[in-house]
Amino acid sequence: MMDFLFENTVTLTIIQLFAGCFGSIAFSILYGVPRKYYAVGGLVGGIGWAAYFVLDYLDLASVTVATFIATLLVAFLSRLCAVWQKCPVTIFLIAGIFPLVPGAGIYWTVYYLVMGNQAEAGARGFTAFKLVMAIVIGIVMVLDIPNKFFRMMSKEKREEDRRGRV
Amino acid sequence: MEERETEQRAELPAEQLAEQLAEQPAELPEELPAQEPEPAEQQDKSAAQPVDQDDVLDLVMDIGHLLLENGAEIYRVEETIQRVANYYGVDTAHAFILTNGIFVSADNAKGNSFAKVDYIPVKGAQLDRVVAVNQLSREIAAGKYDSIAEAREELRRIRAMKGKPKWAKILGSGLSAACFCLMFGGRFPEALVALCAGLLMYLFILGPGQKMSKIVSIILGSALVSVVCLACYRLRLSDDFSHMIIGSIIPLIPGIPFTNGIRDIANGDYLSGIVRMLDALLGFLCIAIGVGIVMSAYQWIFGGFVL
Repeated sequence: MMDFLFENTVTLTIIQLFAGCFGSIAFSILYGVPRKYYAVGGLVGGIGWAAYFVLDYLDLASVTVATFIATLLVAFLSRLCAVWQKCPVTIFLIAGIFPLVPGAGIYWTVYYLVMGNQAEAGARGFTAFKLVMAIVIGIVMVLDIPNKFFRMMSKEKREEDRRGRV
Repeated sequence: MEERETEQRAELPAEQLAEQLAEQPAELPEELPAQEPEPAEQQDKSAAQPVDQDDVLDLVMDIGHLLLENGAEIYRVEETIQRVANYYGVDTAHAFILTNGIFVSADNAKGNSFAKVDYIPVKGAQLDRVVAVNQLSREIAAGKYDSIAEAREELRRIRAMKGKPKWAKILGSGLSAACFCLMFGGRFPEALVALCAGLLMYLFILGPGQKMSKIVSIILGSALVSVVCLACYRLRLSDDFSHMIIGSIIPLIPGIPFTNGIRDIANGDYLSGIVRMLDALLGFLCIAIGVGIVMSAYQWIFGGFVL
């Protein structure tokens, strides 16, 4: 059933990228985010996931570094959108970070524990821990950028828009 | 220091607010009465106070309560309380906020002081309320609410906000399970199973799960999705039970405590940050326990996975 979509690399990639967007939107629904922020939240989450996906897929970076870079991107975009949309960063940050949280890592750790493969379980667990640390450091670094910077950026953008329209 | 931090962390003060803040007189030095007044004496003093200050503290307390309860980070609560109190002329309001408690005090020119303490049980977050309260506080600071009663009325409306209906949350859970299954390399049949497992799981979480403690409901929820996924595996709907389970457990992941814990720690609110991180860690562990129990039981009954 629809297997052809999954055999082709291109369609598979498209499916996975879209799943990133919709997954973030689904989380916005789950946590009661107001409806008008769904699209932006989905986009932030989708872009973050795409960054991770590309870095990992093309083997440009290790999983940890890919997660770190994607987290930086998500946090940065969240703050930008928060200033732009005048709402708390939380709205975008939570939905956007979700694709990067090592949910699969938890599962594989448990799986190998149950299988009795302690070494593999330990390795998977440690990788999950490293990913969490990458997310923590990424968020902390972006949150430390002064708010002035984002206000400046969004102001410039607005002025450009105005000029463009006129 | 105070100035710099406000600049740095304030999400988006409107221009008016910035001006207003600049106009505010510098914070009075904190003057606590040298010795604790007798209880009777204190009662006399509070009666002598203008009613206003008490009302303001009541209002900021309610605002803080609503924010904290619905998944706002500590810094936002602090800042909002400060902003609203300042607007209504209480310049000396100090707030100390923990994950499940708010302590606010204020003193007036006469040197009399007020204090309020509020306990906030940890509950599920509803982010639209955070957005609404955030909006309210900015409108207050911009001068849209002259009387406290009006602001109170608005606050009551926000508290009564219904949030998403149950079916929307259940749908969100199923949808996120299916999407994450696809993202992590699952295919169409797995995503379909994850969708069903996600729907069932939230049906459980929002139904019988509400009466249980959080730990038990997460363990049972993740056990439930594991059972569903293994049943589908046994029925030969799909051979890839790993991706089914990975997708289905995703809605259980404690995203809000995790993200807010990081943010609290980043802001230097270590105590609250640690509590929230612990909450998140416990969530992760409970998911692992639920999945682990079911998989062990399966292995014991059927004698191992065929992989």
